[in-house]
Amino acid sequence: MRNVAPTKSNLLKLKEELSFARLGQELLDQKRSILVAELMTLVDQAAALEDKMALELGQAYRALEDAAMAMGKLKLASVARAIDVRSAIALRQRRVMGVALPVVNTTITDRPPYYSPLDTNLNIDLAAKEFRDAIAIMGKLAELKVSIMRLAAEVKRTIRKVNALEKIAVPDLEESVHFIRERLEENERETFTLMKMVKNRLAAAKQEGSLE
Amino acid sequence: MQYFAIGDEDTILGFSLAGVRGRIARNAGEATEAFREALGRPDAGIVIMTERVVAMIRAEVEAYMFSERFPLVVEIPDRTGRLAGRPGIRDLVNQAIGIKL
Repeated sequence: MRNVAPTKSNLLKLKEELSFARLGQELLDQKRSILVAELMTLVDQAAALEDKMALELGQAYRALEDAAMAMGKLKLASVARAIDVRSAIALRQRRVMGVALPVVNTTITDRPPYYSPLDTNLNIDLAAKEFRDAIAIMGKLAELKVSIMRLAAEVKRTIRKVNALEKIAVPDLEESVHFIRERLEENERETFTLMKMVKNRLAAAKQEGSLE
Repeated sequence: MQYFAIGDEDTILGFSLAGVRGRIARNAGEATEAFREALGRPDAGIVIMTERVVAMIRAEVEAYMFSERFPLVVEIPDRTGRLAGRPGIRDLVNQAIGIKL
C-alpha cells in the first residue's frame, strides 16, 4: 500500500491511476494474445519449412553423390568452380505490434552454361538445381527463425508487464483507494457524532438557562 | 548480401554448385575458426551450417543465435540426414522463453 495522506484529492488521483492501470493491463493482455497467435503461426510455418528443406537437401545430396560416382569428385569440384551463380539476399523489415521482423528475399542470378555438357553428367545439373531450391528455402527459414526469436522475447516482456500490473500495481492501488475511502468515511462519522454531541450539549445548556 | 556455408566436404561441394562459398570444418577448432570468419565477413547475410558442425560448437552458435544480430544462422541436415535428438524449433522457443506453445 502506498503511503498517502487520506484526502479527497488523493482519492480522486488514485482512482484515476487505478483505472489507467486496468486499461493498460487489458491492452497488454490483448497485445500478448496477438503476439502469441503470430508466434504460433510462424512456428508452424517454420516446422513445415524445415521438413521441406530436409527433403530438398536429401534429393540434392543424392544427386550430388550420383554425379560424384559418375565423374569422380575431383572433376566435380573443378566443374563446381566454374559455376557462377550469385545468390543475393535482400532484407526488409515488417512490424508486428512494434516488433521489427526481418523479411528475407533471395534472388538467384544464373547465367548458364558454365561447362560443356559433353563430358559431364546429368546429375550435376540436377544437383545444382536442387541446391539452388534448397538455398531459397533456407533464406525463408532464417527469416522465420529470427522472427520467432524476436517475437518470443517480446511475448516474454509483455507477460512480465501484464503480471506486474495484475499482481502488484492494481492490487496496490486498490488497497490504497480502499484505505483512503475507509478513512474518509470514518472521519465523516466522527464529525457527525461530534456535531451531535455539541448540539445536545448546546440544547442542554439552553434548557438549563431557561429553567433558571 | 550472400550466403556462406560451413560443413563437411560434400556439403561445401554441393553448395558450391549453387554458387555459395563456404569453408570445410572437420573438427571443433576448424568449426570455430570458420564460424568466426563467417561472422566477420561484411557480405555474409545468412550462414548455413550443418547440424554436425553446430553440434561441435553448440554453445557458441546458440549464444549468437539468440543475440538477434546479423548474419542469420541456419542449421541444415548433412548428407547422412538429421542428427537424432536435435532440439526442434518449438523446443528452442520453449527453452528460450519458458512458454509452452
